[in-house]
Amino acid sequence: MEILAGSLSAGLLIGMVFALVALGLTIIFGVMDIVNFAHGEFLMLGMYTALLTAQATGVDPLLTIPFAGLVGFLLGVICYLGFVKYLIRGPMVAQLLGTFGLMLVLRNLALFLFGSEDRTIHEGLLVGQSFDLGMGIILPATKLAAAFLSVISFTAVWLLINRTRIGKALMATALNAQGARYMGIPTERMNAFAWGIGGATVTMAGALLVNFWSVTPYVGLLFTMIAFAIVALGGFGSIPGAFFAGLIVGLITELPGIWDFIAEMTGFDWMASVPMTSFKYTWVYLAYFLIMLIRPRGLFGWKH
Amino acid sequence: METLKNALDFSDFPRLDLTLAAAVAIFLMVFPFFPHSSFAMSTLIQFLMFSLYGMGWNTIGGYGGQVDLGKAQYLGIGAYTTAVMLLRWDTPFWISMPIGVMLSVTWSFIIGYPLFKLKGHYFAIATIATSLVLKDLFEVWDLVGGSRGIEILAGKYQTPDFLHLIFKGDDTYYYVILLFFFTGILFMNAFRKSRLGFQLRSIKDNEDIARSLGINVHWAKIKTYAIATAFVSAVGSFHACYVKNIEPEDTMSLDISILIALMAMLGGAGSLWGPIIGAAVLVPLKSYLKEWLGAQAGMVGIDLILYGAIIMIISAAEPRGIWGMVDKARRRKRS
Amino acid sequence: MKKHIALVLPLMLVLTLILGMQTSHAVETIKIGVLYPLTGGAAAEGRELRAGAELAAEIANTSIPEIKMDMAKRVGIASMGGAKIELIFKDHEGNPTLGADQAKKLIQDDKVIGIMGCYHSAVSKTVSAVCEEMGIPMINDSSTSPALTTRGFKWFWRTTPHDITFTQDLFEFLKGITEGKAMGVPAIPKAQIKTLAAACEKTEWGSQVSETIGILSKDYGFDLKKSILYAAKSPDLSSEVRSLKSAKPDIMLFASYASDAILMMKTLKAEKAGPKMIWGQDAGFEAPEFRSTLGDDVIGILTRTVFAPQVGQVKDVSGQVNFLYKKNMGRDLSGASARAFTGVQTWVEVLEKAGSTAPAAIQKAANTIMIPGDQLIVPWKGIRFAASGSDQGQNELGSGMIGQYQKNKAGEIVMEIVYPFDVATAKLIYPLKGF
Repeated sequence: MEILAGSLSAGLLIGMVFALVALGLTIIFGVMDIVNFAHGEFLMLGMYTALLTAQATGVDPLLTIPFAGLVGFLLGVICYLGFVKYLIRGPMVAQLLGTFGLMLVLRNLALFLFGSEDRTIHEGLLVGQSFDLGMGIILPATKLAAAFLSVISFTAVWLLINRTRIGKALMATALNAQGARYMGIPTERMNAFAWGIGGATVTMAGALLVNFWSVTPYVGLLFTMIAFAIVALGGFGSIPGAFFAGLIVGLITELPGIWDFIAEMTGFDWMASVPMTSFKYTWVYLAYFLIMLIRPRGLFGWKH
Repeated sequence: METLKNALDFSDFPRLDLTLAAAVAIFLMVFPFFPHSSFAMSTLIQFLMFSLYGMGWNTIGGYGGQVDLGKAQYLGIGAYTTAVMLLRWDTPFWISMPIGVMLSVTWSFIIGYPLFKLKGHYFAIATIATSLVLKDLFEVWDLVGGSRGIEILAGKYQTPDFLHLIFKGDDTYYYVILLFFFTGILFMNAFRKSRLGFQLRSIKDNEDIARSLGINVHWAKIKTYAIATAFVSAVGSFHACYVKNIEPEDTMSLDISILIALMAMLGGAGSLWGPIIGAAVLVPLKSYLKEWLGAQAGMVGIDLILYGAIIMIISAAEPRGIWGMVDKARRRKRS
Repeated sequence: MKKHIALVLPLMLVLTLILGMQTSHAVETIKIGVLYPLTGGAAAEGRELRAGAELAAEIANTSIPEIKMDMAKRVGIASMGGAKIELIFKDHEGNPTLGADQAKKLIQDDKVIGIMGCYHSAVSKTVSAVCEEMGIPMINDSSTSPALTTRGFKWFWRTTPHDITFTQDLFEFLKGITEGKAMGVPAIPKAQIKTLAAACEKTEWGSQVSETIGILSKDYGFDLKKSILYAAKSPDLSSEVRSLKSAKPDIMLFASYASDAILMMKTLKAEKAGPKMIWGQDAGFEAPEFRSTLGDDVIGILTRTVFAPQVGQVKDVSGQVNFLYKKNMGRDLSGASARAFTGVQTWVEVLEKAGSTAPAAIQKAANTIMIPGDQLIVPWKGIRFAASGSDQGQNELGSGMIGQYQKNKAGEIVMEIVYPFDVATAKLIYPLKGF
């Protein structure tokens, strides 16, 4: 029972953080129909920003989140205005490979600047603390804080999109760019804004993540794939969809734990020898594939 | 017979192109006789291999317009088939390679059928997903050595061994892959003029119209995917005999899939020479940049930054790649 | 036509002369190619290895009579007119294919007469295959996968003991604990430490260790309830740790490189895994950052090791060389740097015996050499390579130790030796606290 409770709680917690990672992707996609392969690299840069700022200023890492968000916003806007803007004129092949090029550049820029060694946050208010709720549920304080902040971010973005003028302008651009332009909405600025928000949310997710997940210049790819799976599952362009899909994907990565639980319950020894932990993320990739085939619209999607 | 004639007929290219191509071909054939560093030789072999991967990719990615980012899995199937059959049953390369191709093609049909229901980036991401799933499977599968991979010990064979394709030194490998290379070009030449080639081009232009003309779009794509797979798998088998050590992380990684697509796209997807030009630029660039800038006192990663930057520029400025630029320049000159 | 021939012939002559000249240089330095992970996840280890190797080369090339080592008394290779050793370092980043390419370059372009390396067993595997193919001698100083010496290679020698030896040490140690042989700890009933769980990184090295643990735990009568392989580059190991925890093991065994070792320990602590003993198969567990990152948390953790500064108290050469090393690097020799040092030293002695850089001469010298234990800084009986048999090329006189991180009287964290029992330098801390 302990194993199950432990795995489920861990899965939900990490799922909330994954959801925040995917949020940016779904916004950008919703507004502009472009898939950003460098999404994970933004996350990685967010992680480094938080880490280095905390180390340089001695400030608690959790307080660097707004700063990381700002950096992400700027990064997103710059990427759009400086590069992506020109990509969308071309064929889809060019878009895909263009953002790949961006991914390579960002990843290796980080490699050049920061080196390839792992880094994590070692000191901070919540680092190393955890709450033992009994029954095998151990909630590391940093993960708990990350999940909490993720929920807040989601709510904030949702409010932004649905309750403010600029948010509605964004939605209008997403639904019909031509029409929005006729209504006087500056679509170019909307696109840049979308990239800004997309960048900001994912770098903030990175700033949260780095409290318990080590960073190297290479972590980006895994998160890009996780983000894609979440966005596909939740539906491209749907914010609540991204949240629930994130939870589901978080639970999927905890399948090894659930498997162990079933193994213990049923007493089937052969189950213990299956290397489930090696497949942690394989299931996520499979999930993406299956969802795209069975229900391409995802759970809540409105765009296909 | 018609196909053979098609394969050998390059007359629709301007004279200049053909002369250049002939010059390059001659250079490639006599290169090993000149003094060269082992580095240059291995770079050239890499170039030939990636040209072939790119040519294969080009069928579905270039002519077909569906960006496939999961080709590395077929490299793996080809390489592992040859390696496993060599180690267990002493199978000659010339038998294990076709078997590898058959296995790859079968797998491509299995996943191709559902895959081609998708389009655009969904398709691209799905190809990544399938490649990663297969790689993860290979990492725990004992038959293929799991994550430790398979090692072919050259010492066990009497070199030069043409049956099993084990040679001492790079020179003979070079000529084998060069042979594959020329064969590949002829095949692609025939392909682009074949019925399937034309079908693909009309599908790429406008799928609905193509369908209304009676083309079975789904099948055309699947067949082309299988051809691309065959190319990659065959060269994968060669890779196993050349490198003699294959591991999933090394042979089936996402990086390789991306590189393949990148080179073809950079050179010009959808043209005959495109993938070759792309490989000719990117393979030496990558090798030499790494050599000069590599682990020199913290200059790590500069080579790939330049690499990525070039890709970004090309995709934003001229999505049709280098060949596209050449083509455009020519048209302008003509008018 | 004739005019052209008249030009061509002298041109060809000049060409041949130029090309010919390049190969007839006098042998000024003896070039040895060294492949280490100078960047990537094991970069810190790579730096240690490099420092150890460079120190050995320095000692070989100059005369330092205070050090009681034959190599220190000579200047260069005496039997080759005092020719000096030149180490050419190349980075393989932990990538086996890159390692093989670099080896080819070192041999064909840099014209090295031999190779040393590579730390990562997966890289040593491919590099040694290249050397075997080209008939160039390779001495492996730091890779411990047993499979490397079972291939019957004729151009491969390994100075370091391999993982079967080391893992046997572990089980002998555990057995000894149940018999009360550990210093400061009364005999512990086997039932208390019977359940094992192992997590090993999944490349050549780790997977071999995993296999060996599986076999030996059966032989020694322990219950290996869970054995998992994981990717050293993983950014998160919490599900692996939870999986290990579910087996409720008494003892946890690991084969990890530096970054994953650190991550694993941190995750174990966060998940309150609670084993009575944690043992690591060296590598990451001995990396300098392991100690510096985890701080006091490392106290009580056991690791296989090949060298500890304490050896200097029993062996003069070890203390003397360690003193020099500490002067340059600011810290003691570790298992990695000590073995790199020993690797270069072995090359020097082999070349000294061979008297020439011809591969055949080196091969003969390596197959017949015997370096006595008092010449080495590591506590081995000596270096003598098996010339045939199932473990061809393996040094038969090496041995391992097990160390434990403890706090000494000055409050510093040091590595005390707890096995072999007769050379133990401190009481064993049991059970482990803080996890």
